[in-house]
Amino acid sequence: MDKFSKKKVTRRQFMKGTAVMATLPLFSKSLPFYGSLAHAAEESDLVIAKNGTPSQLLQAAMAPLGGMGRFVKKGQRVVIKANIAWARTPEQACTNNPDLFSALIKMCYGAGAKRVAVWDHTCDNYQFCFSRSGLKETAQKAGADIFSGHGRNVYKQIEVPKGKKLKTAEVLRDILESDVFVNFPIPKHHFATELTLGLKNLIGIVWDMEQLHKIDLHQCIADINTVRKPDLVVVDAIRILTTNGPKGPGKTEDIGEVIASTDIVAADAYAATFFKQPKTGIPFKAEEVKFVKNAYDLGLGEINLSKVRVKKVSAA
Amino acid sequence: MKRAIPTLRRSIQALSFIFLLYLIIKTAFPLELKIPVDLYLRLDPFIGIITILTKKEVILRMLPAFGVLLLVFIFGNFFCGWFCPMGSTIDFFDRILFREKKWSKNFSDQSLRRLRYGVFIFSLATGLMAFQVMYLLDPISLITRTLIISFYPPAIYIFNHLLPQVQSFLPKNPFIMSSIPMPLFKVNLLIFVFFIIILALGVVRKRFWCRYLCPLGTLFSIFSRFRVLKRFVTEDCTHCQNCVKGCPVGAIPEEAPESYRHPDCIACFKCLECPPEAVSFHLGRPKWKTVNGVDLSRRYVLGSLSFGIVSALVIKANPLQSESGLKNNRLIRPPGSLPEEKFVSLCTGCGECLKVCPNNALQSTLLEAGLAGLYTPRLVPRIGYCEEFCNFCGRICPTEAIRNLSIEEKRLIQIGVAHIDKTRCIAWDKDKICLVCNEQCSYHAIVGDEKKRPIIKEEKCTGCGICENKCPVDGESAIIVYASGVQKKIKPEPSNNNQG
Repeated sequence: MDKFSKKKVTRRQFMKGTAVMATLPLFSKSLPFYGSLAHAAEESDLVIAKNGTPSQLLQAAMAPLGGMGRFVKKGQRVVIKANIAWARTPEQACTNNPDLFSALIKMCYGAGAKRVAVWDHTCDNYQFCFSRSGLKETAQKAGADIFSGHGRNVYKQIEVPKGKKLKTAEVLRDILESDVFVNFPIPKHHFATELTLGLKNLIGIVWDMEQLHKIDLHQCIADINTVRKPDLVVVDAIRILTTNGPKGPGKTEDIGEVIASTDIVAADAYAATFFKQPKTGIPFKAEEVKFVKNAYDLGLGEINLSKVRVKKVSAA
Repeated sequence: MKRAIPTLRRSIQALSFIFLLYLIIKTAFPLELKIPVDLYLRLDPFIGIITILTKKEVILRMLPAFGVLLLVFIFGNFFCGWFCPMGSTIDFFDRILFREKKWSKNFSDQSLRRLRYGVFIFSLATGLMAFQVMYLLDPISLITRTLIISFYPPAIYIFNHLLPQVQSFLPKNPFIMSSIPMPLFKVNLLIFVFFIIILALGVVRKRFWCRYLCPLGTLFSIFSRFRVLKRFVTEDCTHCQNCVKGCPVGAIPEEAPESYRHPDCIACFKCLECPPEAVSFHLGRPKWKTVNGVDLSRRYVLGSLSFGIVSALVIKANPLQSESGLKNNRLIRPPGSLPEEKFVSLCTGCGECLKVCPNNALQSTLLEAGLAGLYTPRLVPRIGYCEEFCNFCGRICPTEAIRNLSIEEKRLIQIGVAHIDKTRCIAWDKDKICLVCNEQCSYHAIVGDEKKRPIIKEEKCTGCGICENKCPVDGESAIIVYASGVQKKIKPEPSNNNQG
């Protein structure tokens, strides 16, 4: 009897213990349960990397976000929405930079991705886009599958519940079903929408791209982005097209930056400042690009860069 | 050895047909095959001769055809019996469909046998008038056209339906590929029916087409009068009529099986299956006099000739064909095409350019270009547009009706000019922000004004039709390409590909 009574927990002790147990988590930071434990703390939401080769820039830009391991887990399927819409050469800066593209795919595989697929619904004939941009060869060398959405069978009809004007759309099925979705735009001048940025890049997952112009292009761009929020946005600003966009060829400018972000609106808000308004010559403000503003109004991200944790790093 | 010949011949025929299929399948995007994909057409001396007549000069691409003609002097029209893909198809269907047909005895085909000579003389005459529709009957052009226009789209349809099933069995690849866009050709049914009629004529006689209609076979027949390899029959012949029944072109007369109509013989060597083994083929002079296959009277030849000349004149005088009729401004020819009249006289309507066009932009005409322009290619921008960095149609055209241009040259050819219908354009009429035509234009020929409405710069427009193709307006596009009459060269734009 004695033996047992000694170990008996008193009511007071029990109360104390439960109170401690219950309050303890409140004081600590919420425990990260997933892979991010293995990485450095996520210091920022938007990282701008400068000075370096494309693959160095990507490395430098991803590190403060927590590395690719934060986004891609072992055995996951990754889908990259690249911009291969036109049959242009890489120097003309109408399509993604092949070196950066290759580095991105390799980084996904490095983080343990099971398979990486690259999708785009091209505007020119896909065979010419893929071969002239050199991106098919690049993707295949890096081990990724590259697909073009020229057949309707790869699309899925979905509702856009959060869309203001766009109610239904046919969207690439793989974008919806993949584990990780990476948006990989190249900022360009655009006659109709002033600029084409990360948000606009998602028009290339829709089957009837041209039909969106009939509804309201700016609002549709914002609406289609509510369908699936990208896990990661990598903006390819190594060389950008500043005139005659989006098809070019036009004037290009070597910016030499790679922007990695989890917030697509913030990434676009930053990328918009590369461009000058054709009439006044003053750099664009994010609010002046209507689709970015519309996306902000839909709550897709933060347009005001002072409210985002921005970090500038140098790769070299 | 003798027993193996029919099997050997059938295998070669099948291989020849499969090879044609392979070449047609390879007539597509990268176009990097070492063998010319239009090989069969280049080997066709009928096209070779007629193009000399219509163009009044020798087309270098067609030279291999005359090599085939030289071989005819040795082997006779071996091409028909061994290699012709049309003949292979007809043989195959005769074999599986019309096998049990009884030997119809009382059927003198002397008058019918002249028919193909008449057709041939007719086409020579119209060829001299620089006008040609007889390409429609050329077997190589016919089979290529039929395979491409009538059978390629259904094949793609089947492929697209099987693709998801097959891909779902592959556990490795979780991603599903896009199906191939269905090629659309408006005249497919007509060409299909024509093809079926040719096959169905086998009910009357085996190889009806080859015996009585085929102009290429006629050409071979004319030259194979001088052939070296000949058929010999020894005294052992028992008149068993075995070879008479077996001959696929009816070249052996019933009453005298020792002789044969040697111009008609296609050297299939079927008559070697002779019970007393009396038949052999070798060089030399046969003891039995050969029978002339056909009685071509002077009247018949002159009649066909004048009929050809008069029909050519009548068709030329048709308003569809005459100068005013040619101003059909929706008839846009592929870039690099010769001037309309020459184009029509050289195009064989083989459909190779229709197959190779990556955007399905080229369509066969029916009567848009008049009777002479039947089955010639035209660009229909609403179905597909002319790809900027593509010159495939010129590269594969066997008769050079579409000139072989480099990509730089081709980008400067104006095949038409786009016009905006401002009452239908959603930017002009409804103040929407669209400018799809502007962003799609490869040549900076469409600019937006201050209200983001499209304006066309005609001097830069090549008429590729991408704007008409992509215009989001329902039905007829709000921006339409009209043919520019004669294809012009536009001024090259100063290159601004690089910085500056």
